[in-house]
Amino acid sequence: MYLENISLKNFRNYSVQTVSFHPDINILFGSNAQGKTNLLEAIYYLCTSRSFRTNNDQELIKKGSNFFFIKGSFRRNESNYLVETGYQYPQGVKIKLNSKEIKRSAFIHQIPVVIFCPEDILLLKEGPALRRRFLNLEGSRLNPLYYTNFKDYFRALQQRNRLLKEHRHGILDPALLEPWDQELVKLGAAIIRMRIAMLKDLEQQSFIFFNLLTGALESLSIMYQSSIDYQDHLEHLEDSFRLQLKKNLALDQKRGYTSVGPHLDDFSVAINGLDARKFASQGQQRTAVLALKMGELALFKQAGGAEPIVLLDDVFSEFDQRRQQHLFTYLSERDGQSFITTAVKIKHFETGPKKRFNIFTVCKGKIDAGSRLDY
Amino acid sequence: MIFPQPLQALVESLCRFPGIGPKTAQRMAFFLLGLSREEVVGIARAMVEAKDKLRFCSSCGCLTEEEPCRYCSDQSRIQNVLCVVQEPRDVFVLERTGQYRGLYHVLHGALSPLDGIGPEELRLPLLFKRISRQGITEVIIATNPNVEGDATAAYLARMIKPMGVKVTRIAFGLPVGGDLEYADDLTLSRALEGRREM
Ligand SMILES: [Zn+2]
Repeated sequence: MYLENISLKNFRNYSVQTVSFHPDINILFGSNAQGKTNLLEAIYYLCTSRSFRTNNDQELIKKGSNFFFIKGSFRRNESNYLVETGYQYPQGVKIKLNSKEIKRSAFIHQIPVVIFCPEDILLLKEGPALRRRFLNLEGSRLNPLYYTNFKDYFRALQQRNRLLKEHRHGILDPALLEPWDQELVKLGAAIIRMRIAMLKDLEQQSFIFFNLLTGALESLSIMYQSSIDYQDHLEHLEDSFRLQLKKNLALDQKRGYTSVGPHLDDFSVAINGLDARKFASQGQQRTAVLALKMGELALFKQAGGAEPIVLLDDVFSEFDQRRQQHLFTYLSERDGQSFITTAVKIKHFETGPKKRFNIFTVCKGKIDAGSRLDY
Repeated sequence: MIFPQPLQALVESLCRFPGIGPKTAQRMAFFLLGLSREEVVGIARAMVEAKDKLRFCSSCGCLTEEEPCRYCSDQSRIQNVLCVVQEPRDVFVLERTGQYRGLYHVLHGALSPLDGIGPEELRLPLLFKRISRQGITEVIIATNPNVEGDATAAYLARMIKPMGVKVTRIAFGLPVGGDLEYADDLTLSRALEGRREM
């Protein structure tokens, strides 16, 4: 599936704009704050009906207006999909697929797209909350059962925490607590097993990409880190979980929350065996995160998903020339469509095996399909 | 939109039905206004009569016109097997399958600390009394296949098993996370047959 063209009205810093795209690689070139990322955002919004930068659609409207409108036509084999999405304040969003109005909730995941932006490095740098979010999002996308288990686990956790809070200063009858512990252990263990299996697959796929970017000079590994100490014996997971819930009960009761379980777990990424969070350079961290995201993409494709549209926001500037070249080669060899924003000229891109790209110059909310000579 | 006061009141009343939003409520209201007076009185009477004539059976808690209900008073039913369900409507769902011939007990809810529902809020003392006095040998737990239903089942098993009674849970093939009432007859029959000891 690829995006043939897009029309914008009052989106961010664009007034009226129509562009046609190349089915393989599209390079959006321009200085900062000219509208490159805004165009990626519009493409992402067209695919998912949400932004990757904000949850507030109102922010997407051009100043001085009260609506924005994005229209684009996608092509998959011989079929065409016309997507129109508009937001008007205060009425809200309207989405049309081939001129028929559809609900926002029904539209999610219709058009596969992934975004890679500089902030993604936080996945490695920040605390575990972002990584858990990553696990839960990917888990749910790859396996519907993950989502059901996660939702139920969270519900059981809330029920248990409420019970703990209610009995903060008293005696809690074990008969009351036990049923929720049972649910927590059953669902929590299932979640952890799915996460471990998923990370193993992700590691395999990311490793391939990481090798490609680094020229096989460095190795990448991913480790699940559970708050439950099961001593590397996964078959003891349920028993260990149950035991540790009991062990922490007095403290948990005092605090009114549950201090062990997959809701507190994490994973670590190591480069050459060393924790990337602590010991890797900025460049290595970026390469590792990009590898994770590309690995994610491969998993998604394995699961029967379509080849997604890849949006790379300001990624090339972070890499040395060797990595730039490897990444460009990879993008030109993959089947799907890619969009790349850059403020610097990407050297060596013309030495890629297939010259399958268009270059656009973005300046003050205007997009020009410039020739290669201008670039 | 400005409606005459009686119409506004009617729409607001209809809005109280589960799953009925303002738009559907308006459609229903205009439909009612298009009927003859006799037809409207008929609908209103059906509502009031159902409310007046039906009560919860003092023994099993199901919806009934008679006291005790026809399940509790039917001696041809298996007298030593008891099926525990969450809501009165679940009894009719199970009856529809024609597979179950034992007695019922309706809890009128499931354990949920978040909703302030503990064992005291459910019809539990009566359940335990029935089990010990009526010579029950098997309790089938048919609470909903979701987190609260499962936790309630676990709690019941813990309380009932020491009474020397076999406790089973219907589970097989039920849609996970759903309500009992959404299961079709065949699925439910299989769930009953495939019940597992807890
Ligand atoms: Zn009865």
